[in-house]
Amino acid sequence: MIYHVRHRTILRYAAPVQVARFNLRLKPAPWPGQWTSDHALSVNPAPSVIESRPAAWPVQVSRLVIEGSIRELVIESSFRAGVQGGAITAQPDDPDIGTVAQAALVDRGMGPSAPANYLYASPRAPLLADIGTWAGETLSPDQPIVAAALALALRIQSEFAYQPGVTDAGTPVADAFAARHGVCQDFAHVMVVALRLAGLPAAYVSGYLRTDPPPGMPRLVGADAMHAWVMLWCGPTRGWIGFDPTNGCITGDGHLFVAMGRDYAEVAPMDGLFIGGTGQSLSVMVDVAPEEEEVA
Amino acid sequence: MAADAIAPPCSDDWADDYLKAAPKGDLFADASPDMAAHWRTMLGRLSAQAQADPARLADHVGRQASDLGMAFRLTGDEQERPWPLGPVPLLIGAEEWTHIEQGLTQRAELLERVIADIYSTQSLVRDGKLPASIVTGSPHYWRVMTGTPPPRGHHLHFYAADIGRGPAGEWRVLADRVRTPVGVGYALENRLALSRATGDLLGAMHARRLAPFFADLRRGLAADCARADPRIGLLTPGRFNQSYAEQAHLARYLGLLLVEGDDLIVSDGRLFIRTIQGLKRIDGLWRWMDSRFLDPLAFDSKSRIGVPDLYDACARGGLMVGNWPGAGVIESRAFAAFLPQLAKAVLGQDLILPNIATWWCGQTREREHVRARLDNLVVGSAFDQDVAGLPDAHFTPGASLDAAQRDTLLAAMARRPMDYVGQEVVKLSTTPAVIDGRIAPLPFTLRVFVARDGAGQWRVMPGAFGRLAGHGDIRAALMGQADMSADMCVIDAKPVPPDTLLGSGTPAIRRVGGMLPAKAADNLFWLGRYIERTEMTLRLIRAIAGGSIEADLGPSLDSPAMARLVGLLVQWGAVSGSGAAIGPLCATALGDARQPGSVRALMAVVANIGEGLRDRLASDFWRLVRLPLPSFDGAVTETLLDASSRMIERISALSGLAAENMGRTDGWRFHDMGRRMERAANGCRLISLFGGDDASADDLTVLLDLMDSQISYRTRYLTGPALPPVRDLLALEPYNPRAIAYQALRLAEHVAALPTLRADGMPEEPRRLADALVARLAPLTGDMLTLADIADAESRLLGLSDAIGQRYFLQLHKTENADLLS
Repeated sequence: MIYHVRHRTILRYAAPVQVARFNLRLKPAPWPGQWTSDHALSVNPAPSVIESRPAAWPVQVSRLVIEGSIRELVIESSFRAGVQGGAITAQPDDPDIGTVAQAALVDRGMGPSAPANYLYASPRAPLLADIGTWAGETLSPDQPIVAAALALALRIQSEFAYQPGVTDAGTPVADAFAARHGVCQDFAHVMVVALRLAGLPAAYVSGYLRTDPPPGMPRLVGADAMHAWVMLWCGPTRGWIGFDPTNGCITGDGHLFVAMGRDYAEVAPMDGLFIGGTGQSLSVMVDVAPEEEEVA
Repeated sequence: MAADAIAPPCSDDWADDYLKAAPKGDLFADASPDMAAHWRTMLGRLSAQAQADPARLADHVGRQASDLGMAFRLTGDEQERPWPLGPVPLLIGAEEWTHIEQGLTQRAELLERVIADIYSTQSLVRDGKLPASIVTGSPHYWRVMTGTPPPRGHHLHFYAADIGRGPAGEWRVLADRVRTPVGVGYALENRLALSRATGDLLGAMHARRLAPFFADLRRGLAADCARADPRIGLLTPGRFNQSYAEQAHLARYLGLLLVEGDDLIVSDGRLFIRTIQGLKRIDGLWRWMDSRFLDPLAFDSKSRIGVPDLYDACARGGLMVGNWPGAGVIESRAFAAFLPQLAKAVLGQDLILPNIATWWCGQTREREHVRARLDNLVVGSAFDQDVAGLPDAHFTPGASLDAAQRDTLLAAMARRPMDYVGQEVVKLSTTPAVIDGRIAPLPFTLRVFVARDGAGQWRVMPGAFGRLAGHGDIRAALMGQADMSADMCVIDAKPVPPDTLLGSGTPAIRRVGGMLPAKAADNLFWLGRYIERTEMTLRLIRAIAGGSIEADLGPSLDSPAMARLVGLLVQWGAVSGSGAAIGPLCATALGDARQPGSVRALMAVVANIGEGLRDRLASDFWRLVRLPLPSFDGAVTETLLDASSRMIERISALSGLAAENMGRTDGWRFHDMGRRMERAANGCRLISLFGGDDASADDLTVLLDLMDSQISYRTRYLTGPALPPVRDLLALEPYNPRAIAYQALRLAEHVAALPTLRADGMPEEPRRLADALVARLAPLTGDMLTLADIADAESRLLGLSDAIGQRYFLQLHKTENADLLS
């Protein structure tokens, strides 16, 4: 599938920002099975500095500096991207969880997507014992990895209430877990923590969903903003596979990968210092349209 | 006893008594005959000095420590604690020390090469010498530093290790530290306190001196900076950090700028410090904060103590940072398990100083070993994180777990084995210490320090921070609840050459103290204002309590003058209302910490601001500020008067210190401007309240007293107070150091002497405003002065204060973090 993506963010401030120094993580990082072209970033007011930064993970970081009084900041990112089709499913010869956990421990990779990076607690994904207890048998070491992770995603989808507004970007995973509610970000964190507690390398992914479903298919939850899901390393043979706990599925050609890190903080679409500004309000608009439809 | 003073007897009682009870492997009991003789000499001398009373010795040394201003905090402490320095140093002979030195030097070099490999080619991981998951498990591993090498390839400028000595005399490394060398400043201060307390004892024993090590460390930092005479900052997390006092002391001792994140700014990939002369380049940082806090845009976005884009300055090159961000990756306990094989792989050598034996459970065989021998091992967190199944912090002897805890731990270890290590149980040997007034053995560890010198070679500090275990985990923080510290001396067979610094060349002579950071200027200014406000509050209290109103007036709340005095205390927040009787009212204004303007609260602010200037203020200042308020009783007026007078004397002593002991630098100017500004503003206030056109003789008497000009008036005028001469003396006389015009002249002098940012010779705003104020007052005389003139002066002072703030101080903005919802 080929998509056109437009993502517009508007920040307004009651008291103007004097200097803004911030990171954007809106351009898709290279990822197997996906290509990106024609990425364009427009920022108003115009930044004095805009540079790309090295990142630790599969993340494209742009650094911007804007000086001068800012009451309204408009950021628009657009690109074309293609995602390979072909649904991923559990296979009879999938390794079990214990085997994958052991393989991850001895893997010698040190690159940005090496499994060793994603084995441990990270600042926004502490290894909470309660989540381990809850995931319990779903992730026992003798379970086949892909089927078990899908079962876990389905459990999150059915046991947690999707409620925009009850959590925000700063909500600790413990709170969302205790209340069994939240949005894609919370669910992805819960799933990452549960998988890591089972000794598995699990990453947090930000990306997009196609806005309108293919004919006859239900519209996916989370398509009106940036979406979040989980990548699980399923052993050296199967590699990384995406699981979407919000929609209870393995990711497919409706999921557009943007960035992967250990938790939300490392892939946050925007973070930085906004000096002087108070009373921030935010609006976001995302449109992910298949190219065929535009032609038609 | 007179004879004792001339030739103190060297009694062997302490030594003999101690040896009778010393356990096997004790540092003294186990010493070679040569070293045992040194121990005997030392204990004999200490015993003679303390008249054989160990408690007296402990007191004596403790007093020296407190005179040096030594203090520390445990996590969660609001106030600093007195420094627990044991009076008996540990002695180690040159031969034994050489072995330790070699071991530490080897280890520093090994760690440097391993860190360099992790952040560049990663060949050790690729070749299977080091598991990737040992590297990534560390919370101090920063992948973003990969491919960002430090100047001259030096990731490490310092290295510290905790070492322990077993009962057979063998030394082992318990922990490696490269994030901050906490303890190095305390080791230096311990030495200072001990040598002050013991006269020539250390020299007589040929104890090696510490100073050359610090000179080498300083040169090592400078050598990696881009400029020849570099400007180096000691980057502190701030005054609430546990080791802030140590950091301030070191900055001062080494001549480094003590800086916090908001003193610094990165512009165009270069690091600068904000000073009263504008931005100045910084060539290097000795950082005392973890990597994660260094730069909110590159590491932890939640950090509020770092410097935005510091990462860029590192990546661009030309900035020395010691230790380089990310170096902490080697600190984890799990890492120690791999050092023996890394030493072979990297250096082709065995470790000279072995580790404490460590098994990382991320490996199958090691995991089984730990499971099988759980009762004989200590189990801990591999990466110093909270982990499941360990009830007591991060380290627990397996034998101490009950059956249920044991099952929980084993189950948790089965799920995430990589989070755990097993370590052998360490037996530590003992050293003589003073406990409950007796000399008795205590187990000890040493924190030892290694630094690069100017040539990039490793130097080991010939001494250590000795830690004597009260109880608890000796491997935890620097100092625990009941622990004591002690100095450690390396004893040479021959006298130590008197000055090993000579070879380094004499420094260029300089007469000014370097540039003044904007925040220090800000703090000095406000320190002055708060001290002056405290003094004026005290004078108000004294006037109310009856000190000033002439005898026949007596203290009464009814008089209009009294009502105005109390009104001013209310306005300044020293009391909340004027309802109370005189006694309780004054007691509140003096001692009620809940009143933001009370003397107690103001002195707390003074101490707090002073804390941020720790590297710039003398220890005498601290002693005065820390003294408790004199006691008083709200029901007894004399005690209130007495307490206020004694506090005023204390403030005078602070003024005296500033006047006589502070160098006439820009820093002194800001401090003095604070005093002058506050005094002038208070003068305006008081004249408008008590020197109005209808002022009575009582009013004028109060006014003269509050502005401390009673004597001046009486020497000039034989009559009682009259309005025009009083106004002239207090508002306009340029020779009266309490007069407004006098303050205006001093303020104008100060701003004229401060550096200017303008190249066109035009005056900056503070200078314009100060000169205008002087010119406004100069032509007036007491008989033509009106209250409108006073009000005008007051508003000009306000404008001047704002202009000084705008021009010279940090403009700290509120910052907001933007996080977008997914």
